[in-house]
Amino acid sequence: MKYPYYPGCTLYSKARNLDQCARKAALRAGFELEEMPSWNCCGAIYNTNTDDLAAQVGPVRNLAKASQLGERLVTLCAACYNVLKRASEHLQATGFEADRQRLLDFVDEPLIRDVEVVHYLQVLKELGWEGLRAKVAKPLNGLKIASYYGCLMVRPKEVLKFDDPENPMVMDELVAALGGTPVRFDFKSECCGGYLVVNHQAVADACSLRVVENARTWGAELVVTTCPLCQYNLEMAQRRRSSGNQLVPVLYFTQVLGLALGLAEAELGFDDNRLDPRPFLLTRGLL
Amino acid sequence: MNSAANSSLVSRIEELSGQRVLDCYQCGCCTAGCPIGELMDPAPSKAIRLLQLGRAEELLASEGIWLCASCLVCGTRCPRNVDYAKIAEACRAIVLRAKRSVVDPDRVSPEQLQDIPQQAFIASFRKFSV
Repeated sequence: MKYPYYPGCTLYSKARNLDQCARKAALRAGFELEEMPSWNCCGAIYNTNTDDLAAQVGPVRNLAKASQLGERLVTLCAACYNVLKRASEHLQATGFEADRQRLLDFVDEPLIRDVEVVHYLQVLKELGWEGLRAKVAKPLNGLKIASYYGCLMVRPKEVLKFDDPENPMVMDELVAALGGTPVRFDFKSECCGGYLVVNHQAVADACSLRVVENARTWGAELVVTTCPLCQYNLEMAQRRRSSGNQLVPVLYFTQVLGLALGLAEAELGFDDNRLDPRPFLLTRGLL
Repeated sequence: MNSAANSSLVSRIEELSGQRVLDCYQCGCCTAGCPIGELMDPAPSKAIRLLQLGRAEELLASEGIWLCASCLVCGTRCPRNVDYAKIAEACRAIVLRAKRSVVDPDRVSPEQLQDIPQQAFIASFRKFSV
């Protein structure tokens, strides 16, 4: 099965490892991501001001282009998922018809159908955990993994309808299918501090450390995420504030997926992680 | 600022955010769930209270509206369906549209540019810059 795929800006540079593992792991899991042509930035964050149509131009142009490719658009970055999904819901909203037309006239691309924006994790779930389990080449050996969803995957709940906003489980189910042990913890969908890291680093660090400390208290040896900014904040907050044996590696779920599906170490992009997970993975016999 | 001007500011905030401040009954769930609630001044429930009292100008001049990371926990847990993140966004828009950037893209350091994901810069500039 081939799906049109929207990678987004960050996955082209600082989160290359999220993207590259995802493409290769998909092939092993039984589907293919086909990058949509001439995409543009989604806008990274959704604007909620009722009069701000300009902020919708970026996502709407992407949606119009995607509509020419198929019924679905697969996303991977949590921010892209959030923004594109919200923009797509907004486009379909009653009472928005005039603005919808203005936007489509402006982007000058026909929207030939309403596009369903889905996340890579949803594609995996649809394909089925049992089938995926059968494809695992290197089971994760019971590794205790905390799945961290953050904000963008689950809120606003009425629009995303992704999973239980207070206790999302899809990534935990994936971890279990790969032979890991999902760790229950309290701050699965708490905020990492997000973009406040640009101008209030201490505030973002405090948010991120709270998440990691809680995961560690519940026994996590590793944290997985699907958001480049969560991944960055959780790693950097630890690098700035924690020491030695308290450090918990933070991986993209696609790295763990690729590892279990037998991708070579060089394909997993660990060089781009800021807390090198390799020494730990070696001690657990996974590299 | 006189009370008429303040009251028209409250209306403007309600219009931009699509929220009604009088819907809030001050239970404090938003502030309790806010990951930055201890540092945010005013915290979400207090900020809404200021608007209920017609003190919009005070809120627009506050630091609190610039500390929201738009994580949306406040609105998700609100029993009255008031979304403070949208209210804070409207307040910031009013300040920003008067041409006052809080984050200046020209002043991001080369080290930050090298290091921080684009996602954070674009989001930060969209929320905090003109």
